[in-house]
Amino acid sequence: MTSIAIPRPAYAERPWILDWLTTVDHKKLGILYLYTTMFFFAVGGILALLVRAQLAVADNTFVNNDAYNQIFTMHASAMLFLFIIPVWAGFGNYIVPLQIGAADMAFPRINALSFWLIPPAGLLMFSGFLFGGASDVGWTAYSPLARSSGVGLDLWIISVIILGVSSTIGAANFMVTMFRMRAPGMTMFRMPIFCWTMLVTAVLQLLATPVLASGLAMLYIDRNFGGSFFDPNGGGNAILWQNIFWFYSHPAVYIMILPGMGIISEILPVFARKPLFGYKAFVFATMGIGGLGFSVWAHHMFTTGAVLKPWFGFMTFMIGVPTGVKMFNWLGTLWRGSITFEAPMLFALGFLSMFLIGGINGTFSAAVPVDFAIHDTYFVVAHIHYVLFGGAVFAVFAGLYYWFPKIWGRRLDERLARIHFALQFIGFNLAFFPMHLLGLDGMPRRIATYSESSGWETLNLISTIGAFLIGVAMIPFIINVVMAFLRPKDQPNDPWEGNTLEWWTTSPPPVHNFDSLPEVHSERPLWDLRHGKAAH
Amino acid sequence: MPSTGKLRVIRRVNLLISAALLAIASISPAFAGWGMPEPITDQAKRIQDLWVFTLIIALAVFFAVEGALLYAIFRYRKRSDELPKQTHGSTALEIVWTTIPVLIVITLFSYSFIVLRDVEKKAPSDALSIEVDGFQFSWQFTYDLARLGQGQAPAQEGTFSIIGTAAQEPTFVIPVGEPVEFRLKSNDVIHSFYLPNFHYKLDVVPGRDNRFVITANQTGEFTGQCAELCGINHALMRFHVRVVERAEFDKWVAEQVANKATVRQP
Ligand code: HEM
Ligand SMILES: [Cu+2]
Ligand SMILES: [Cu+2]
Repeated sequence: MTSIAIPRPAYAERPWILDWLTTVDHKKLGILYLYTTMFFFAVGGILALLVRAQLAVADNTFVNNDAYNQIFTMHASAMLFLFIIPVWAGFGNYIVPLQIGAADMAFPRINALSFWLIPPAGLLMFSGFLFGGASDVGWTAYSPLARSSGVGLDLWIISVIILGVSSTIGAANFMVTMFRMRAPGMTMFRMPIFCWTMLVTAVLQLLATPVLASGLAMLYIDRNFGGSFFDPNGGGNAILWQNIFWFYSHPAVYIMILPGMGIISEILPVFARKPLFGYKAFVFATMGIGGLGFSVWAHHMFTTGAVLKPWFGFMTFMIGVPTGVKMFNWLGTLWRGSITFEAPMLFALGFLSMFLIGGINGTFSAAVPVDFAIHDTYFVVAHIHYVLFGGAVFAVFAGLYYWFPKIWGRRLDERLARIHFALQFIGFNLAFFPMHLLGLDGMPRRIATYSESSGWETLNLISTIGAFLIGVAMIPFIINVVMAFLRPKDQPNDPWEGNTLEWWTTSPPPVHNFDSLPEVHSERPLWDLRHGKAAH
Repeated sequence: MPSTGKLRVIRRVNLLISAALLAIASISPAFAGWGMPEPITDQAKRIQDLWVFTLIIALAVFFAVEGALLYAIFRYRKRSDELPKQTHGSTALEIVWTTIPVLIVITLFSYSFIVLRDVEKKAPSDALSIEVDGFQFSWQFTYDLARLGQGQAPAQEGTFSIIGTAAQEPTFVIPVGEPVEFRLKSNDVIHSFYLPNFHYKLDVVPGRDNRFVITANQTGEFTGQCAELCGINHALMRFHVRVVERAEFDKWVAEQVANKATVRQP
């Protein structure tokens, strides 16, 4: 075994708090990202429970219509802009440099800026609640409705622009890091698959986010400086906003899920003790999804009557193909493996079984006439959550359980993890499966209440019970984390017999990450060391 | 005492049975129309057929993949320290499982394209045509006495309207068995005209002339509501449609016309 020695730099000691506030270390920033985004996950979750409490019974008056619109808007905004998009930047920050054998990100100070834009933007978005009401027009902020909403929407617009800046510069940083800083021997096609998904995500962010920012600037001008980009009465066009918004937000859907797929593709090979089946096919499928992602935005707009329906329907169907390829590759990875079921694997398998549903129920919206029926109903809410919760959130937990020993030097308890998984899996399906039936039966999304004569009460009650069960599922998780923090750090470099370079260094790694690096001959350098290259 | 091996088999069978029961319950025919409400127009019937067709393919894919996953989980759990064979992929398989989805997708697209073309057929020029105005937060349905359908000579000139409020949900009336056109208008924000039994919705967009046509095939009263967030009382923008025989429709129109309050003479 040969390895490349890396000189160890010297560091000045700083007070603890100053250290965290001024750090440019990708690992500390990654941890700050994870804490911040999990905080907003909790906030978004509490808002979701308020939504479910209101909808538990017909003609409920637990929250009024005005508050309801703010609550569901902020639920989605927090979950998307403050949790799921930046949480991947958090994992990416911590893991990507380690996986490619780098000492840090390419631009550590820009990295710190990317992170420090997020907390103030989050506070700004939520500060609407103090100034007469947060945004209440949905996370999609359709015009002309968005022209007349209160100041909460201005705060929301500014906040989302700031978050867009954060993810745009972050994307550039990730791209340069992966293009320029890979360990000797690590060609692009030996890069860990999580890095690949972060790379494609970064490209999407770089191309799509500025489009959203310009749309938001136009909306701000419409609202505050007498513009009429989106106002038909002033010569503007209401549909233009939707085109701009979805040109960003459909690719954004992949920004929200691709890194999760990457995490799953790291975990399955480790716990099935086989390489990822069809590594290259997987990379091309990821690129395919990214590319096709820019040609389907108007599938959110079939019922506007203002888009070329057959084209967007066809492209939307087509995007199912690379997604299917991934599913089969994951199955191929498990096939004839030697599978064990530690916590990361449980959540990864949860992802596979639930994301599958999110892929299938999305297909119905590609059949345009069926979309006429289910668009803007609870069927779509079910679809969103099978992708974003059944997919992305299960992947977040898979990643947390998987990298916890690396990041915090302790291992989470398996028994509590299993309880967490079981409760979350059951709660999730109880909460969201009934929504398919509600949507088919005609329950529109974004309604603050429904009448008893609609017959939607039973299914809504089941859904609410499921939602609260998800809340309960967080208790064993939190206990698990707290108990782990009370224990001393005791984890070896490589507790799972991992494949990739982050498992080569100590847990947690030193500031400079690596004292030495092994030679990289494949996408599984540590496997090669453990079993010899012949076994590869 | 059964052996542990036997116990494991029993547990596995139990699991399979409960999984199967769950699956059956979730597609139980108690939900007639495979989950969709009763279609009351020719167009809705077409959409429902497409839904059922898509659903069958979806369920087949679901059970195949979910089944393969469960099989892999049970069959390939770790039994010894021996390393499994390190297979890195298979070009042949990749081609197969790219081609199969492509074929499925082309089938689904073709069928949905045909249905799309049919449900978007334009109305004959002499069809009953109703202007639907969405506003915050109810609906107004305006009938033009010159466009009451069935080539009827206009009894008189003018229009009459049914106007609702969020508290007083409007009911409008259409005849069964003939094409009815809806012209959607809004002067404030975007709404969406959605009637679940039509299996159809179309947005009501300020500055756009959106129209659609249905042919009702059964009588009765049905409820719809706005499906695009339009402000604080969006949830209350409900409306009702009464589908009646032509004779009853004519009688209803006559009543409306007699009620001068709602008729504007040109
Ligand atoms: C505790 C778990 C969750 C529950 C119970 C929940 C519940 C809900 C419900 C009931 C709605 C529909 C509100 C309405 O249309 O009136 C909704 C909307 C939404 N949720 Fe969640 N949700 C949860 C987690 C998540 C997560 C993790 C994400 C994303 C990562 C997410 C993203 C969204 C989005 C994008 C919408 C659409 C909002 C809109 O129509 O503007 N949710 N959620
Ligand atoms: Cu989309
Ligand atoms: Cu509305």
